[in-house]
Amino acid sequence: MGGQVVRALDNVDVEIEEGTFTVVMGPSGSGKSTLLYLLGGLDRATSGEISIEGERLDQMDENALALFRRRTMGFVFQSFNLIPSMNALENVGFPMQFAGTNAKQRKTRAQELLAQVGLENRADHRPSELSGGQQQRVAIARALVNAPKLILADEPTGNLDTSSGSAVMRVLSDLHKAGRTVLVVTHDPRMTHFATHRIYLLDGRVVGEAEYESAALEALQIE
Amino acid sequence: MKFFDLLRLVAGNLTRRKARVALTAVGVVIGTAAVVVLVSLASGLRQSASEQLYGIGDLTLIQVSPSYGGEGMYMGGGGGEISSPSDVKLLTNSALEDFRAIPGVESVIPREYLMSSALIKFQKLEMYPNIIGIGTNDVADLGDATDRGSTELGRGSIVIGVTVPQNFYDPNLRPGKEPPPPPDLFNQQVQMVVFKYDSEGHETRKNIALRVTGVLKETRGESDWAIYMPLEQVKLLNEWSQNRRFNYNKDGYSMAIVKVTDANQAMEVADQITAMGFQAYTPQSFLEGINNFFIILQVIFGGVGAIALLVAAIGIANTMAMSILERTREIGLMKAVGATNRNVLAIFLGEAAGIGFLGGLGGIAVGWLASQAINILASIYMANQAGQQGSGLPSVAAVIPIWLPVFALVFSTLVGMLSGLYPALRAATMVPVLALKYE
Repeated sequence: MGGQVVRALDNVDVEIEEGTFTVVMGPSGSGKSTLLYLLGGLDRATSGEISIEGERLDQMDENALALFRRRTMGFVFQSFNLIPSMNALENVGFPMQFAGTNAKQRKTRAQELLAQVGLENRADHRPSELSGGQQQRVAIARALVNAPKLILADEPTGNLDTSSGSAVMRVLSDLHKAGRTVLVVTHDPRMTHFATHRIYLLDGRVVGEAEYESAALEALQIE
Repeated sequence: MKFFDLLRLVAGNLTRRKARVALTAVGVVIGTAAVVVLVSLASGLRQSASEQLYGIGDLTLIQVSPSYGGEGMYMGGGGGEISSPSDVKLLTNSALEDFRAIPGVESVIPREYLMSSALIKFQKLEMYPNIIGIGTNDVADLGDATDRGSTELGRGSIVIGVTVPQNFYDPNLRPGKEPPPPPDLFNQQVQMVVFKYDSEGHETRKNIALRVTGVLKETRGESDWAIYMPLEQVKLLNEWSQNRRFNYNKDGYSMAIVKVTDANQAMEVADQITAMGFQAYTPQSFLEGINNFFIILQVIFGGVGAIALLVAAIGIANTMAMSILERTREIGLMKAVGATNRNVLAIFLGEAAGIGFLGGLGGIAVGWLASQAINILASIYMANQAGQQGSGLPSVAAVIPIWLPVFALVFSTLVGMLSGLYPALRAATMVPVLALKYE
């Protein structure tokens, strides 16, 4: 503390092409989540530019950012962030309430998306009645509900066992194949198999794969 | 976000934490019930007061008194020594003419009290009378009607108020003996004795024979105790007893009654007379005063109840603050999926208002039950009292005016919303990333 400035990201210059599957790798504290939240307009950079499809996120006010998130982005979180009092269907349809979509359309759309993630028969289950993998797939369905161009996933498999983690990865990969832009922050190396692009972060800097690997080895040797 | 979706979401969130919402709402229930009960008690008092105030006077009559300048209002004698003549407005004959010229005025009747002490004797009984001379030969002009006899006055005749006979007593009544019943004076001859004292205290008496030609109906006003006599006769008696002549063009009368054709004009005419510098008084202004008093009483009683609501409001604020802390990640999620700050604010304000609304509903129910209970207890008590006293007592103790439940519900909802404002604002302005990472 003591007023010390922590630079979570420093001089990071990345470009993400439409239709790519980008994996951001990095150890804890490397700033990879910060990168994701900045891209998602959930956090603000102290300086620098962030633009998505030519729109400057760093220049938007809170309201404009909220509307931009609603239209353009879908988030998937490590801890799912489902609303415990709502069933799967309601959770998926929840973001559409803010867009003012009527209840009937919400239901149809949510059912459609639940089917897409293979949970059509779990529609009226509450999060507590679903496994971790199922919860995360509900969360992915929710992220898709406003037909976003960009899917941002923060450690989507972090809380999952290997097999349900794989299932979630496959769902994300399917989305990419269906033409969406996906960006996943993870330190699960399996994710790289699905990726078209990789970004390696170390202490807030973008580094090459070679440097990343050697740093990882170095860390092992110190231990 | 659609309003109906907002309502459903708020309702869903409230049912999610039933026990906590219920406990918080209990505070509002108590507060609202206190407001309802106290205000209904004040309304009940007001209603029984107006029940007892029936016939406080003819609404077309305005009593006008002279103004002697400065504050305050003199009663009594026509004239006297006046210090600063500019403020002084006396009821001279020309002033009475001015009143007659005001549009809507039907008649102007001067009034004068008997200035000396007097005694009325009837058989063995006596009384000290309240003699009022009126400048008309018909008491009906004052809005009074007779129970028996005629309202018309002539020389040597008097019209008396209904309770006047009760004031007669037997001066020679021996202790322990039953006092005589009030005499029936109608169409009877009575003797009036007027006293006059010179500077050395010597007493001179004057006896006048009077006939009671009318007995007035009960008005519950001044007339009940009055003995009306023609003004000219009172003037003469005053001149005799005071040993001087009165110049009514200069000294004026002690009071005038201005009668308007339409009761709706009374306030307006009274205002004009007040603007001329006189003291004008209408039954309407009296009623207004009573109403104002009870409105103030309701506000004070309501304020006492509002203290309980204030405590409840703090409870709501606390519950909401806790709830927002617990649901920080949910708030982050809402923002991530595209909720604007206004959406978040609306949801949490809605929840706070919902607690207030539920508490308000409960409070109205409890308050209504309590008022009914008070009325039942009161009617039992009153029935006992009435049995002992044999008189009509107010029928109800607590009255819930129609506006009260509506007001209570709106108010408790507003209280809820207001106390949720700070927590809701905090929720709305949370930085999404911090909210999402909150553990």
